[in-house]
Amino acid sequence: MDLPVKMLTMAVAVPVFGAFLVPFAARISTPVRNALAVLLGLFTFLAAASLFTTVLGGQTSTWMLSFPRGFDLILHADLLSVFMASVSAFVSLIILIYSLDYISHYEGQTEYYAMVVLFLGSMMGLVFSANLLWMYVFWEMTGFCSWRLVGFFRSDKDVAKANKTILVTVFGALCMLVGIIMVYFHYGTLDLRALHGQPISLLAAAFILAGILSKSATLPFSTWLPDAGVAPSTVTSLLHAAVLVKIGVYAYARIFGVTFAAPDAFSNAVLYIAGASALVSAGAALIETDIKRIIAYSTVSQIAFIFLGLASGNKTAFVGALLYILMHSIAKGGLFLCAGIIEQNTHTKDITRMGGLFASMPLTGVAFALCSLSVMGIPPFGGFFSKYLVFSGAAQNGNLVVLLMFLAGAVMTLLYLVRLFYKIFLGEPAGHDCPKEGSYTMVASVLALAVIGLALGFLIYYPSAYAELLTNTLGVNLQ
Amino acid sequence: MNLIFIPIVLPIIAALALLLMCEKTKYLKELLAIGTSAVALLAAANIFLLPVQAVSYAWLGTGITFTLRADNLSAFLLLAVSLFSLAISVYSFSNPNKGPAKWFFFNLLMTQGFAAGAALADNLLAMLFFWEGLLVFLYTFIALSQTTYAAKRTAMKAFLINGVTDLCLLAGITITAYIAGTMSMSEIAQNKLTLDYGWSMFAYVLLLIGAVSKAGAFPFHTWIPDAATDSSAAFMAYVPAAIDKLLGIYFLARASIYLFTLNGTMQLVLMTLGAVTILVAVMMAFVQKDYKRLLSYHAVSQTGYMILGIGTLNPIGIAGGLFHMINHATYKSCLFMTAGSVERQTGSSDLSKLGGLWSAMPVTVLCFVIAAAAISGIAPLNGFFSKELVYKGTLDTGYTIFFLAAELGSFLTLASFLKLGHAVFFGERPENLKETKEAPFSMLLPMLTLAGICVAFGFGARLPTNWFISPALAGMNIPHPLLSGFHPDKLYFVSVIVILAAVANHMIGLAIGGGKPSKSSDHIHYAPVLKETYAMAERRVFDLYEVLMDRAVPAVSLALFKADRFFDWAIDAAPSRLSGFFGGTSRRFHNGSYPLYMALTLACAAVYILLAGGLK
Repeated sequence: MDLPVKMLTMAVAVPVFGAFLVPFAARISTPVRNALAVLLGLFTFLAAASLFTTVLGGQTSTWMLSFPRGFDLILHADLLSVFMASVSAFVSLIILIYSLDYISHYEGQTEYYAMVVLFLGSMMGLVFSANLLWMYVFWEMTGFCSWRLVGFFRSDKDVAKANKTILVTVFGALCMLVGIIMVYFHYGTLDLRALHGQPISLLAAAFILAGILSKSATLPFSTWLPDAGVAPSTVTSLLHAAVLVKIGVYAYARIFGVTFAAPDAFSNAVLYIAGASALVSAGAALIETDIKRIIAYSTVSQIAFIFLGLASGNKTAFVGALLYILMHSIAKGGLFLCAGIIEQNTHTKDITRMGGLFASMPLTGVAFALCSLSVMGIPPFGGFFSKYLVFSGAAQNGNLVVLLMFLAGAVMTLLYLVRLFYKIFLGEPAGHDCPKEGSYTMVASVLALAVIGLALGFLIYYPSAYAELLTNTLGVNLQ
Repeated sequence: MNLIFIPIVLPIIAALALLLMCEKTKYLKELLAIGTSAVALLAAANIFLLPVQAVSYAWLGTGITFTLRADNLSAFLLLAVSLFSLAISVYSFSNPNKGPAKWFFFNLLMTQGFAAGAALADNLLAMLFFWEGLLVFLYTFIALSQTTYAAKRTAMKAFLINGVTDLCLLAGITITAYIAGTMSMSEIAQNKLTLDYGWSMFAYVLLLIGAVSKAGAFPFHTWIPDAATDSSAAFMAYVPAAIDKLLGIYFLARASIYLFTLNGTMQLVLMTLGAVTILVAVMMAFVQKDYKRLLSYHAVSQTGYMILGIGTLNPIGIAGGLFHMINHATYKSCLFMTAGSVERQTGSSDLSKLGGLWSAMPVTVLCFVIAAAAISGIAPLNGFFSKELVYKGTLDTGYTIFFLAAELGSFLTLASFLKLGHAVFFGERPENLKETKEAPFSMLLPMLTLAGICVAFGFGARLPTNWFISPALAGMNIPHPLLSGFHPDKLYFVSVIVILAAVANHMIGLAIGGGKPSKSSDHIHYAPVLKETYAMAERRVFDLYEVLMDRAVPAVSLALFKADRFFDWAIDAAPSRLSGFFGGTSRRFHNGSYPLYMALTLACAAVYILLAGGLK
């Protein structure tokens, strides 16, 4: 086995199996357990990122474990999977570091760390799988981890919301399984490399889409995501913003972007669904008063923009969607972690009971503002470029209704984020005793994400060149 | 390194350096800002005089480049941006009303760098990058200028209005770039777009919204009067009076003349927008009781002349619009500076509390009189010439109604400046202002400079038109009109009539208002019909932003929220109720009765056989 293949297998195997070592490490001492968790995250990120050299050199690397009847476990590193794995692992690493302080006052930390690492491992497996069946297996593993993590606090309400999360996503995943089976019976294989460029029937595509929409919290399966806001902020950050909801988007890019040639009617339907999702959730974000629910609705709304880019059917939009995944993971992860600091120090999630927090939490406020600006797509932040490219692609697609829907969605993004920032940090203080700034590690984590969002804007050439290379190399049926 | 980067990069670096400085350092921040603006101005002058090579870098993937090009119009605009930045930096040297010095100069330098970038960008996306980037600094500029909640709210208002229209601009640019097949403005100009079909019309309208909103035209202007009361005079003199106008009108000219060929309908739309902006804002300005707020409405009203001028689509009108753009920035910036120095020396900008300051602040009065005469279009100051060009262009289109509207606007402009000047500088000085002194030299210098420009561009109107306007028009391939020269023609006599009418109006107002200059607008303010209209305007009934935020946004978002709740019901409550219902029903059959089970089995078998048989 040469080095890239080793790295590829280890990026998946180390976190998946390492997660089971976390409880043993906890037996030794708490610092050892925490260190192990962070090291596993760090290793996963480095292993995934090390594959950049391979894929940028125009090569791919593959590792295969044979199973009968074409159900081989195939791990395949190409431009798309390495990109997605690195982004997810990086944000997960930041979240693990942030967790060290955040989670330290709660019970069940060992399970928490084990589940986060297992989640990360399953994510790696899902991203690198080149076999639809194994994609499905890892898909359900992430669902299981998110179920345990959403219900972290174990009150009846938390458990009910966790059950809602898993029931909705599993329902979608089962629909997807039906779609996968249809593909299997049609082509006799589930190896995505072999299926490259093949047509797919509308019905199978629709079944797979149901799974994607439920995982990525898009209409009509969107509301589990705001409800899952009962979880600790690190979990919501991990699940809602950075990683879990991107699974659906990744699957869409992988299955309909770079593998099958989806029918036009299907892509058009996705555009309208995404447009409706962007609008409905943005409207809800303007009504809600719970900080985490607002940010979660914002995620639903932004995910729709990614779908817009992926389904518009041209290269500009596809590049924009890939950049959007990157920018949104960073910025939205930062927003949720800021919300975690605010929630922990004010002991409330109700924005009407905050106000004027900028005076006492200036660094969190700045990080929150910078991340918001990136989500809004204001230059010089990275989000500007992804938003521009997605809109540009939508204009090329030539569907005026969709364009207007997303324009309205972008306007509402401005409204709810400005409102949120104003209510939390500026507005008149609503009877709180000026809470203190978060701990050093936590504030450093959010500032790091904020500054990366800014830096990505100034260094946009590199990610955009990568996304363009990816689109040109792998894209199917793009104009 | 190419010289073209200096006006953009240097202010940004200096602004970041400012952040590292301690708030307590004295004069260091001020001197750094002044030095930076001075160097940037020199670079801009160099670029203007000796054209530099365009630069281009691969930027967003391979298709979109980052291109800076200083053609005549861009170089002219860059020169103006740099000049006003320097003037405001000097002016703010010892002005305590500007908020924390560190943040003031940070915002100022950032705004300067981004505005310079927007002026120089040839690529539409690069322009949008700088243009929309100004949003952040607009917000922080207003929010940090005062510690009040009102400042934060106004900052939010300014951010949202401009943010939404910038999104329109973004959408417009994507469509324009797609139709044209390129993002480079100079390439699009080689083969101008027409408004023949829906998409290009849509694209132009979106670009138009972005441009006129930046310029502060009706109905996107409503944050400007609010900012006048909730932020500093230095901010008003810099952003709404100078930078925003320059950029907005610059891009309006680019879009309307350089990128698109407009048709008669769009000409009418532009001219109507200009005339409505002139009249609505000047009507509001006339009755204001606050120095800065009155000026801010004029800043909106004057935009109308520029839009009207460009909307005529004939060379004279366009020249007038561009000339008016630079003239307006000069005198309006100067006027806001006088407001700032009066506020600094007296502690108030309320007209009813001021008066008789001419003997205490002679230099400020001099600057005010020159700038006020210039904005009112009194010959031979710069405002007279640019307005004449706009009038001439308007008359050439054959739509006399717009000419009349513009003259009516001039009448009200002069009337309101008579009221303002009389109330602040003449009449009786209140008891508590007996000790008032003249503003410090650092504030007077930029004021005098700008007032000097007003005079110079008036007496020597040939100078700016030949140096700036004609080359800019030539750069946009517009035939060279005869611009300069003072003609005592019909238009001149109309302007004399307007002056006499305004003076007469002021006399009447004083007589009715009991001799109090601050009440000299009351005869119009409380006239029948107008009184009710003004009262509604005070309640912000006509403020599009407030109406939308109060009515439309909550209603729409509530409806969408209901839709969200419906989907939640559909995936949560509905399935659980359904499964509960089936569970309850099937439980009733599980009662342990053997005959019931047998009966059910047989019934189901019968149904199956019937169905299976029927299907065959």
